Amino acid sequence: MAAPSFGIELSFTATVVIALIVVGYFFLIPAFGTYFSRFSRDINDFFFSGQRFAWWLAAASMVATGIGSYSYLKYSEQGFRTGMSSAMTYTNDWFIVPFFMFGWLPIIYFARVRSIPEYFERRFNRTARYIAVCIIMAYMFFYIGYNLFTIGVALEGMFGLPVLYSVPVVAMFLGAYVTFGGQTAVIFTDLFQGIMLYVAGGIAILAGIYALGGFAEWWSFLPESHRLPFVHLTENEKFNTSGLFWGEALAGSIAFTFMNQGFIMRYLAIKSVHEGRKASLFNVLITLPLSAVIVGAVGWIAKALIVKQASSGGVLEGLDPIHIENTFHTFIIVTWETLQHNSWLFGFVIAALTAALMSTIDTLINACAAIGIYDIYKPLIKPDADDRHYLKAARWASVITTVIGVLLVIWFANQQGSLMQIHYKGVMVIIPSIVTTIFLGAFWKRFTAPAACISMLVGSVLTIITNWTPNWIDPLSWFVSGPHNDVYIYMRALFGMVVTGVVGVVISFLTQPRKTAEIQGLTIDTLDAGMAIYKGGEPNHELGEKVRRLPLKIDDSIEEGIIRLTPKVMDLLKAREGDLVYVEDSRWFLGGLRSDHLKAGTPCDGPDNAVLMSGKTADNGYLLERRTVTLEKIF
Amino acid sequence: MKNVPSARSLAIGSIITVVLLAFIYLYPRIIIAWLGEANPWTSYLYHYGFGLVFFLMGIYLILRSGACRFGRGHDSFWFGVLIAGFVFFAAMHAIWIVAAQRIPYLGGQ
Repeated sequence: MAAPSFGIELSFTATVVIALIVVGYFFLIPAFGTYFSRFSRDINDFFFSGQRFAWWLAAASMVATGIGSYSYLKYSEQGFRTGMSSAMTYTNDWFIVPFFMFGWLPIIYFARVRSIPEYFERRFNRTARYIAVCIIMAYMFFYIGYNLFTIGVALEGMFGLPVLYSVPVVAMFLGAYVTFGGQTAVIFTDLFQGIMLYVAGGIAILAGIYALGGFAEWWSFLPESHRLPFVHLTENEKFNTSGLFWGEALAGSIAFTFMNQGFIMRYLAIKSVHEGRKASLFNVLITLPLSAVIVGAVGWIAKALIVKQASSGGVLEGLDPIHIENTFHTFIIVTWETLQHNSWLFGFVIAALTAALMSTIDTLINACAAIGIYDIYKPLIKPDADDRHYLKAARWASVITTVIGVLLVIWFANQQGSLMQIHYKGVMVIIPSIVTTIFLGAFWKRFTAPAACISMLVGSVLTIITNWTPNWIDPLSWFVSGPHNDVYIYMRALFGMVVTGVVGVVISFLTQPRKTAEIQGLTIDTLDAGMAIYKGGEPNHELGEKVRRLPLKIDDSIEEGIIRLTPKVMDLLKAREGDLVYVEDSRWFLGGLRSDHLKAGTPCDGPDNAVLMSGKTADNGYLLERRTVTLEKIF
Repeated sequence: MKNVPSARSLAIGSIITVVLLAFIYLYPRIIIAWLGEANPWTSYLYHYGFGLVFFLMGIYLILRSGACRFGRGHDSFWFGVLIAGFVFFAAMHAIWIVAAQRIPYLGGQ
């Protein structure tokens, strides 16, 4: 007896095998996250892991954060429809990288900004903070609900479970390890899931290429329109190069890089800005293009399969005839067919789809909880509680966030249109006003608080109104040679950015900016001051060596947070007294799990160039006396 | 008018804005007239032409503000990475278009 299908007919045995793999995976992941939760001791660890991880760990966990369960379905569908141009959204981020690497990343890192709304209060005022909270929470909840909804749809099709029953169960497991694990658990779980995603995506792609008869066959049977990296400039009203540039390459990339609390928390978990730049480079240069292939290639393969099948008399050797009547099912149909109905491998791929959901959502839930605590609970409800209290509150915030995400699924379940439409229709309305405000705030010190508040409100309201008055976007789209239609999914973001920008600049001219002394370290022009505040002294930029495998000795006479090094080690590091030194367990694969930022104290003469610190200091960084440590001067 | 920049800054800002707007208006029309809207190189030039403008604005900002200083820490290295990254993506997409157009298609009509 066949189960209700999601574009495919599954036998009862296949259904049981797939269900077993997925359920087993569901139990494995929370166990994994719970193990690493022991490294979250206080509220800082819970959310930010104390700025201590290596770039590669954060970068690897960004893979899983960046790919959601919807990515496979959405991009395979797009890849089948328009070809390799589906990769555009993953390969168009470089234009904003200078702003991020040298501007936004050092600003938030040195200012120790916990959340974007907190930045808004420090840069502008409290009103700006709460306008930002509303917009960012809308963005986060949108993504959580959307992710839950897509996995609910998949589960419904595969196993016949109604969305409104399956989603709460999925959400319960998700909530369990995010709630108890915190950011450290999320980072390590995402590392594991990122690997799983690539392995599973790779299996689906290899099976497809094999079914086609090799890479050359795939390319040869892919129409030229489907091989191109860019889609037509304006022809497709929902997917065109001009709209994608303004809406996705600019607004979307800024939102994902500058504003997405999940990514921001990844960067804040890294041990230094230099390492953060490495993570950013890896993310834009390697992770995103590779992810574009992983989530979209099945759609490209699907097109070549259909073309080859048609030119081979309607059937390919070794495969059942492939029919994709509803392109929404592209990924599932093609993977099932090219894996030749192998339930175990297909189950593994579906488990990875589930992993994509979990890894995106765990970050979002953790990020929402961070905003809930730092932007709402702490400043407004309980300002002076201890860390233990906030940790408990953070766990409740994770639970509440999960519940709101589940409730939003009811709304998504009643929406019409394709996944792609629903996704960008929502995102392109929410983000333009806030990304413009972040941009002006960070890069233009004349930008004032009243201007930020008014421009965010006006920009948001007018952008929302264009859903009913799309003709407002006509002149702008005409000016940039964009498409002429009433859809304007991406051009809506350009409209929102222009309105917010113009209102913001005009009002800034009419109002008084804050004094430079009040916004030190919060704009690109004041980064030197930001670095000095972060260090608590003048930065030392002289480049030194990384000094490896030094013995660690406990000396409780040394003040907490200070290390004492021999003159030889100080010289190798090019460090002076008072400089910030990163101390980590020498085992590289820990990625900074046992590490801390400490200040270099007065040089001392010790045996074997030992690193001296108090027992409390070692405990704070989870450092072990029996293990050697590696040192690196930050500045 | 509490926060209006000096007359000189205002004049320079106005000129830059007008030049930028003129570029945004004229540039796509020129490439469309030259290559046609359906040509894949039109999309490529649209994307990288406007992209380059924003990229250079970023480069100008980080240098002018002192956020990036040659010779300080790893700044020179990262500046090189920024330029190399832009060239990499532009070259990758260009090679991709050439490969898409040059390799024969076997699927018929």
